[in-house]
Formats: sequence, structure tokens, C-alpha cells
Amino acid sequence: MTLSAVAAVVVFAAAYVLIASEKVNRTAVALGGAAAMVVIGVVRGGDVFFSEETGIDWNVIFLLLGMMIIVGVLRQTGIFEFVAIWAAQKARARPFRMMALLIVITAVASALLDNVTTVLLVAPVTLLLCERLALAPVPFLLAEAMASNIGGAATLIGDPPNIIIASRAGLTFNDFLVNLAPVVVVLIAVFVGLAWLLWGRRLRYDPERAEAVMALTPRETITDQRLLRRMLVVLGLVLLGFLTHNLTHLEPSLVALLGAGAAVVLSRLPSDDYLEDVEWETLLFFAGLFVMVGALVNAGVISELAKTLTSTIGDHYLPAAQGVLVGSAVLSGVVDNIPYVATMAPLVHDLVGPGGGLPPAQQSLWWALALGADLGGNATAIGASANVVITGIAKRNDHPISFWTFTKYGLVVTAVTIGICVPYVWLRYFVWG
Amino acid sequence: MRAQDLVEQVPTVTRETTGAEAARVIAEYRLSGLVVADDAGVPIAVIPGSQLFGLVLPRWVRDDRKLVHAYDEKGADDLCRRLNESTIGDLLDDEKLTASKPPAVLPEDTLLEIASAMDDAHSPVILVKEEDGTYRGVLTMSRVLAAIATAAGQDSDLVRRRLERDIILRGTPHESGPTREAP
Repeated sequence: MTLSAVAAVVVFAAAYVLIASEKVNRTAVALGGAAAMVVIGVVRGGDVFFSEETGIDWNVIFLLLGMMIIVGVLRQTGIFEFVAIWAAQKARARPFRMMALLIVITAVASALLDNVTTVLLVAPVTLLLCERLALAPVPFLLAEAMASNIGGAATLIGDPPNIIIASRAGLTFNDFLVNLAPVVVVLIAVFVGLAWLLWGRRLRYDPERAEAVMALTPRETITDQRLLRRMLVVLGLVLLGFLTHNLTHLEPSLVALLGAGAAVVLSRLPSDDYLEDVEWETLLFFAGLFVMVGALVNAGVISELAKTLTSTIGDHYLPAAQGVLVGSAVLSGVVDNIPYVATMAPLVHDLVGPGGGLPPAQQSLWWALALGADLGGNATAIGASANVVITGIAKRNDHPISFWTFTKYGLVVTAVTIGICVPYVWLRYFVWG
Repeated sequence: MRAQDLVEQVPTVTRETTGAEAARVIAEYRLSGLVVADDAGVPIAVIPGSQLFGLVLPRWVRDDRKLVHAYDEKGADDLCRRLNESTIGDLLDDEKLTASKPPAVLPEDTLLEIASAMDDAHSPVILVKEEDGTYRGVLTMSRVLAAIATAAGQDSDLVRRRLERDIILRGTPHESGPTREAP
């Protein structure tokens, strides 16, 4: 290994430890690490901005930006609040039925939007419902955070790791739907059953309290029907744009940006309203991360690792895929799954190549990475951004969720969901091929 | 004009005062904010009146304003009763108001210094303290603005008459009616 490669590994490892420790702001660490890579000379200025392989992945950044703007406009409509309260009333305010519906709603919303936004929208209305029913909201909030991580695994746009994998592997929205959505549907059904065992059977129904939920007026939360209609059309067209990639050849990032533009023009909202939902810090975190990982690629660290792994794996893709699945789940519980996938994606790329036209056995590594990273995020309170957000909301509302409370349930859910994915990967890519 | 010419004495509340009692103080004395004092009567915080809404509105509603529309009248009244259960201390802890020094000016400070301090603190009430920290009273936004208007050459009687005439001209015939006349 060259001196510059050693220096790149040291900078990368130090940044990773700092990100995992959560003692320093992760964006500052990622940008600091990127700057260090430039200073030690493993990354050139031109690569940072213009290299598709080793620079900032603009597809990922602009897809995230576009979706954040669309969500920023969509949330002004009150549709999420309406759906959640409507579902609670459909469940006749019976606690477990309500929990099951909220799990499904969160999972579906999370597949179409990003996880953090979904839990930010669903948590306040959950607190309202629990206050009306005099129920402890913690089980509901835990269930929603986990449902968002599971549901987000179903689509290209559902979870940031999927966006990175799609961009690096050249996988389309439809590839994700075909390969991951079926197993996610099964996982959500199983998770509803798990939720009954973990929390649901202890929830008590109080008919008098239920009346307070039935008296809520969900329609009132939709304050601008015209905006809602327009935004549903925009969201529908954006999804259509993702689905018809094979015909239009429009990159997901372009589809999202066109959707964002349409949302801004049609809503006529002041810029503060929709820009408030853009997480600039997250976008900068991604940019810094891409530069750091690009530096490892430039320095030859990734290709060296890939060579070693290739000689170890050989043609044994089944144990490799299962190893990536379980290993990613374990590591994603310990460190944020975004930097993990950003690092692993070029490695898997070197191992098996871009995902689109690969034979099923080789392609399985990409799907194992996505499933492992997305579902592994459920293991601990810091495993995924949605978990951090939900524990923060719970604390602000005087219902703190300790790290160990989250982990106690998170480990069970991760073990069961990964336990289902292990035979799925085997059957889907190696038996039925 | 200086702060000492405008100083007022207003009732103070303590950390133990309930939200409902504090709301009453604001309503009865037509205040725009509250002075919170410790057991020794020393002011520890100034709360703009609008922050009392924070005791009525649950945090989840403050996180997602659309949710207020989901409550029916009974539900809304239920939430208003939260004012009896929460105290000014809860609000101070929640908003971390005690962490910052309550805004204050010196008795000899000018109108410009007072305006700057109120603008900086975004507070409709500000303390007047001696250099040694002795509390002299408060300045309220309405009184400070009246003093500024006077300094700007606005005649209060003239303005009042003009405003009353505007109200009458804009009001419905039933409201303004024959019982009131424009001056």
C-alpha cells in the first residue's frame, strides 16, 4: 500500500469513528474528512465535482433535494394528518388496530417519501391520538420508526442507502420494486404480528376515551383542498416518471427536480415554506462522504480490498450475499447506515460490477446490501436517522425512549426481519434464479 | 425622555404560579408580558404574554400546527384546562428562559436605548434596574411606543380622533350607526 493510501485510510477511519461516536457534528466530520483528503493529495479538485466514480454523486444529492422540496410542499396540505386520524377512526380507536394501521401507513409513506419526513409527520399525530386515548405513546413511536425503516427498503427513494446503491449500481426504480417490494410486504405483515407480541397485547381499550378520538375532525386538517389536489397530481407524475425510466431514460434525480419545480410553481408558496424542509446539513454530509469514499477509490484501497475479497469469495456468491446481508445488518446497527453504504457500494461494484444486467447470483449482493443496511438500521436507537428523530420527538414530549429501550425491541425486530431475508435471498437468487 | 420617566409597577408572578393565574394577571392588568420573580422578589425572567400559549398548546401541536384543526370544541376546551395543571416554572424550563438574563435597561437610558433593548430581546416588557442590580420596575411596549410617538411629534388627541373617524367610516351602518358621530 502506498503512503497516500495509508494516509487516506487513517483519515477515513478517524472520520468514521467520530461519526459513530456522535460526539462531533457528522456533517462537520464528513466535510473535514473530505478537506483532509484534498490536502493530502488523494483527491483532485476536478474529481470532487466532475468525476462520476470518485466525486460527489450529484444524482444522489439532487434526488434528495428534489424529494425534500416535494415533501416540503406536500406537508402543507395536511394530508398526512388527515390519513392518520381517519385511520384511527376506522380502527374505532381500538389501540392495536390503530397501531397496525399506523404501521402500514408509515411503511407506505416511507416507501414513497424519505423516512425522516415520514416519522416527522406521523409522530405528532400519534402523540395526539395517544393523549386522547390516555395511552403511553412510546410503543406507537417505536413501531413507527421501525415501520419506516422497513417500508423505506421497498423502493429506490424510500431510504437514503437505496438511493446511493441505485446510483452506484445503475439500478432503476423498477428494479427495486421487483426485487425488494415483495419481501418488504411480507416483512410488514410479520412486523404487525411482532408488534402485537411486543406491545399490542398489553394495550387496553377504553370506550369512553375512544369517543374522544371519534370526535376528532380529520377533514379540518386539510386547509387547502386545491393545493392538495395539485400536489397529488405532481406526486403521481413523479412516481410515473420513476416507473417509466426505461422509456424516458430520465434519471431519478431529474424526475425529482422536475417534480419539485412543478410543486413550487403550482403551490405558489413562499420559498421559506418549502425550503424549511430541505436538510442542507444532510446534503453536505453526503457530499463530504462521497469525497472521502472517492479518495479511498483513488488511492486504490477499495480495489485492493475487492481483489482480496474476490479471491476469497471466488464463485461462492451465496455465502457472500448472506455475509453481506447479515454483516450489513450488524454494522448498520452500530454506525449510521448512510456512511456504511457509501463505503460498501464501490466495494460491491468492484466485486460484481454494476447491478442492472448481472446474473441473479451476482446481483444478489446489491440486494443483500440494501436489505441488510435498511433493516439493520432498526437494531439500535442510532442505527437510522428515523430512530434518532423519533427518540428526539419522544424526549421533547416528555416520553423519553432510552437507548436500551429502543435496542431491546430493535434487536428482536432486526433479527426477525433479517431472518426472513436470509431464505428470501437464497430462494430468489440462487434457487429460482 | 428616559427610562425612569416611563417606569411602571406591575404585579409579578413566581415559578409556582399556574398558567391560568398568570393568564388572569395579564388579562386583568392588560399587560403584554409577565415578570417572574424568585422567592425574594428578585426578577429572574420576563415572559412575553404570547408565550403563555405554550402552556395550552401541547408540544405535538406546536410541532405540527395543522393538528389544532382536528380538535372539536370540547377537545379544545379540554386542552385549555391544561393551564391549571402547568406552572410558569414549566414554561421557563421548557423555553429555557432562565438561561438568559432578563432584558433590562438603566433608569437613565434614553428612548433609543430602550427601543434597542426591547427589539434585541423581542420582549414587550423590559426591566428597569439600577447599576447595582436594584429592581425599579418595568417598561411596557405600549408606554414606550406612546413616548416614541410623542417624541416623533404625534399629538395623541389628534391621532385618536383620526382613528375613531376611520373606525366609524369603515364600520357597518348598524355598528357605527346614528349613536356615534365623527368628530
